[in-house]
Amino acid sequence: MATKSGNATALTVLSPIKNGAIGEMSFADITRERCLRLPIHEKSPLARVPNTYLARLFVLDDVFYESLPGSDSVFNFSDITSFFSDAARKAALPKKDHLQSRYLVFSSNFYGDLDDYLAGMWEKWAYDAHGNQRDIRYIWEHCVAFDQVNDCNDFIGYIKKCQLDASLFFNGSTDDSLQEQLKALYLKQEFTKFVVAHQGKSAEEIQQDFKTFIDRVQPENMDGPSWLPGQSMP
Amino acid sequence: MTQNLDLTDIQGNIIKAYGAFNFTKARYLFLRIDNGERGRNFVGAVTTKVTSAVRWDKNSKPSATTNIGFTFSGLQALELPTASLLGFPEAFAMGMKKRKDILGDDGPSDPIHWDKIWQETAHIWLSINGQSTQAVDERYQWILKQIEASDGGVTLLTGHRGESDENDLPYQDASVLYDADGNPTPKEHFGYTDGIGDPVFEGQTNTQARVLGRGKLTRSGQWEPLATGEFLLGHVDEAMEYPQTAPAPKLLAHNGTYMVYRKLHENVGSFNRFLDEQSETYSGSKELLAAKFSGRWRDNGAPVVIAPDDASKAEWDKYYAAADFAGKKRMLIDFSYNNDIDGAKCPISAHIRRINPRGSLEYGVKDAFERPGALVDRRRILRRGLPYGEVKDATRDDGIHGIVFMALNADINRQFEFVQQQWINYANDFKEGNDKEVLLGNHDAENPGKVVFQVAKDSGEPPHFVNNIPRLVETRGGDYFFIPSITALKMIAGGIVDPT
Repeated sequence: MATKSGNATALTVLSPIKNGAIGEMSFADITRERCLRLPIHEKSPLARVPNTYLARLFVLDDVFYESLPGSDSVFNFSDITSFFSDAARKAALPKKDHLQSRYLVFSSNFYGDLDDYLAGMWEKWAYDAHGNQRDIRYIWEHCVAFDQVNDCNDFIGYIKKCQLDASLFFNGSTDDSLQEQLKALYLKQEFTKFVVAHQGKSAEEIQQDFKTFIDRVQPENMDGPSWLPGQSMP
Repeated sequence: MTQNLDLTDIQGNIIKAYGAFNFTKARYLFLRIDNGERGRNFVGAVTTKVTSAVRWDKNSKPSATTNIGFTFSGLQALELPTASLLGFPEAFAMGMKKRKDILGDDGPSDPIHWDKIWQETAHIWLSINGQSTQAVDERYQWILKQIEASDGGVTLLTGHRGESDENDLPYQDASVLYDADGNPTPKEHFGYTDGIGDPVFEGQTNTQARVLGRGKLTRSGQWEPLATGEFLLGHVDEAMEYPQTAPAPKLLAHNGTYMVYRKLHENVGSFNRFLDEQSETYSGSKELLAAKFSGRWRDNGAPVVIAPDDASKAEWDKYYAAADFAGKKRMLIDFSYNNDIDGAKCPISAHIRRINPRGSLEYGVKDAFERPGALVDRRRILRRGLPYGEVKDATRDDGIHGIVFMALNADINRQFEFVQQQWINYANDFKEGNDKEVLLGNHDAENPGKVVFQVAKDSGEPPHFVNNIPRLVETRGGDYFFIPSITALKMIAGGIVDPT
C-alpha cells in the first residue's frame, strides 16, 4: 500500500528494465539517457502532473557491496576472524548479492490518493524532446512487460505491481494541495511587497489600497494569479 | 592542555592583524611562475624575508612585513608531487572564479567584470605591510630585484586598477583611512569601524584577555578560545579531528592554512543614497539606521544589541568615555544575542550578527545543541585586510574605493564559503527566508531585496521593513591561496616535498 502521512502520499516504484540492447546500447542505458534529458523547472513533465511535491527518476544498476554487516552483539564475527585461516575467514564472509535486472526507480511525494495521481501521470505527462512530443510511455518503454500497458487502468495496475512500501516524506511541504501551497507562497510574497510599499502610510490609505490588493491577488481563487508548478523565476 | 604554537614556523599574517600593530600601509602582488626550478629558487629567496608570527617587542618590530601564498595552479607550476597536489581540497583546487555560484558572484560581481589582472591565473600572492609608504616601497624594490634575479622564473602580473584610471598597475595598494586631522582610523569607506571582533583561538598569545565575545560561547555563558585546527592545519579542530583539508606529507600542511583574497568595491554613492532614502521612512535617526545595517554604530563601533536606540547609545558613550583601555575593548566585544533572540535590538540581517551569530542560532530553545554556538564555532574566519583607494565624490559609485578582504581558515568550503552562501546571501538558518545581509549581500537590481527590523513583542509597534536594497558591495577580483608554514615554504623552495 502507498504510505500516507496526512494528505501526502509517498510512492516508490522499481520497474525492472529488460535485459538486452538495441545495437550497442542497453535498454537500461537508453532509459537512463531519457531520464537525464528530461527538461527541468516549468518545462518538466512533472510540472504538468497535478499535485507533485517532489519526484525523481533514476536507473538503479545494482546493489552496492558494503563489506561486513555490523551487529549490536558484543563483537562482530569479523573481529575474531584473524584467529582462523584465511580460507576459513573468506568462507565466512557474507555472499555478495546482485540484481538480476537493472531498475527504473521513480519516487514521488504528492498530495492526494495514488490512483488519481497515477491517472494524472498517464494523462498529463508530456514534454518536448528535440521536437518530438513524448508521453509517459517513452520513459517506461523498455521496462519488463510495459508493452502490455495500453490504457490508464493498465498503467495504474502496472505501477502498483512495481510499488514498494515507502515511509520517507519530503519535509518542506504542508499538508495542502500543491495549488493551495503555491497560492499561499504567492500571497505571502505579494503581501510582503504590499507591506513594504505601504510602510508609514495612513490607515485610511492602507485600507483603501488593501482592497485593491485583494482584488488583484484573489486569495480564494486557486485558478487566479499564483506561482505555476515548477516555476523557477518570478 | 594549553596549546603552545611554534610561532617561528607560522606566517605572521595568520596570527597578527598587522593593522593593529601600526602597519598602516599594504601592497599586494600577484605573480606567475614560468619555470619550475627558477620559480622555486625565487620562493626560496623570498622565504628569507617572510615574516613569522614571533612576538615583537619595541626593538624587534620590523618596518615592513612580507607574507606569501600559492594558488593550486601555483603549486602545480612549482612542481609539487602529484600525490601532494591530490590532497588539496576541491574548493581550493577550483579557485575562486569557478566557485562563483556558491559565492553569489553574479551580475556586476561576475568574474567577467573583474579587474584585468584576474583575467589570467595568479600563482603567487605576496603581501607587504609597512609602517610607512617608504617601508613598503623598500620591500617592494627588494622583491623586484628577486623577480629580476629569477631570470624568467617568475613574472609580476599587471592589471590592477589605480586612482588615475590606470588599469595596468603591477600591484594593489591598500591603506588605513585617515581622519580630517590626518590620524589613522579603523574605518572603511561606508564609515563603519572595521575589524573589531576577530576570532581568538587556542595558542594565540594573551587569549585570556581577548577571548570575550571572540572565542566560543560555553553553556555557562563563558567564552573559551576556539580550537586551533579551525585556523591552522595539522591541529585538532572543533570536531576534535585534524582538518581533512591537509595535503600530504604532514609537514607540508602543518602550521599552514588557506586564505581567501577578495577585492571588494564599495558603491559609496549608492550606499549614501540608500541610507538617505530609507531614513525618510525610519522612525530613528539616520545613524541608528546605519548602525542597524551593520550591528555596530559607525562612529565608535558600539554594539547595537547593547545600544539599540539613540538614547541608549548616548548612555553607552558616557560609560565608554569613562572606561580604561581594557574596559573599552570589553564594551565593544563582550556581548551575545541571548536577550535579543527576535532581533528587536540588533536586526537578524545586520552584518555582524549574520557573520557571527554568537550562539543565537538555538533560538531560545534550551540546550538545543551541545553548546549554544555549536553551529557557529565551525564557521568562523580570521579577517585581515585594509581599505583601498579614496572617496573623491561621495555621491558616485565609480571611483576607486573598497576593501581588500582576506579571510583565513582551515577549510574554505566549510568556513568562508558557507558564511558567504548561507549566512550572507541566504537566511534559512536565521528564519528569514531569502533575505540577504544588508551590506554584503548580492542584492539583485531587477528584484531588489528587503530585510526586517523586528520590534519587541509587546511593544505594539509595527516592524520596520528596509526595502529596495541595492548591490552595495561588488567583487572585483580574488582567489584562494595556500599559506604554508615556513618549514613547508623551505621544502617547496627546495623541491623536497616528499609525500611518500
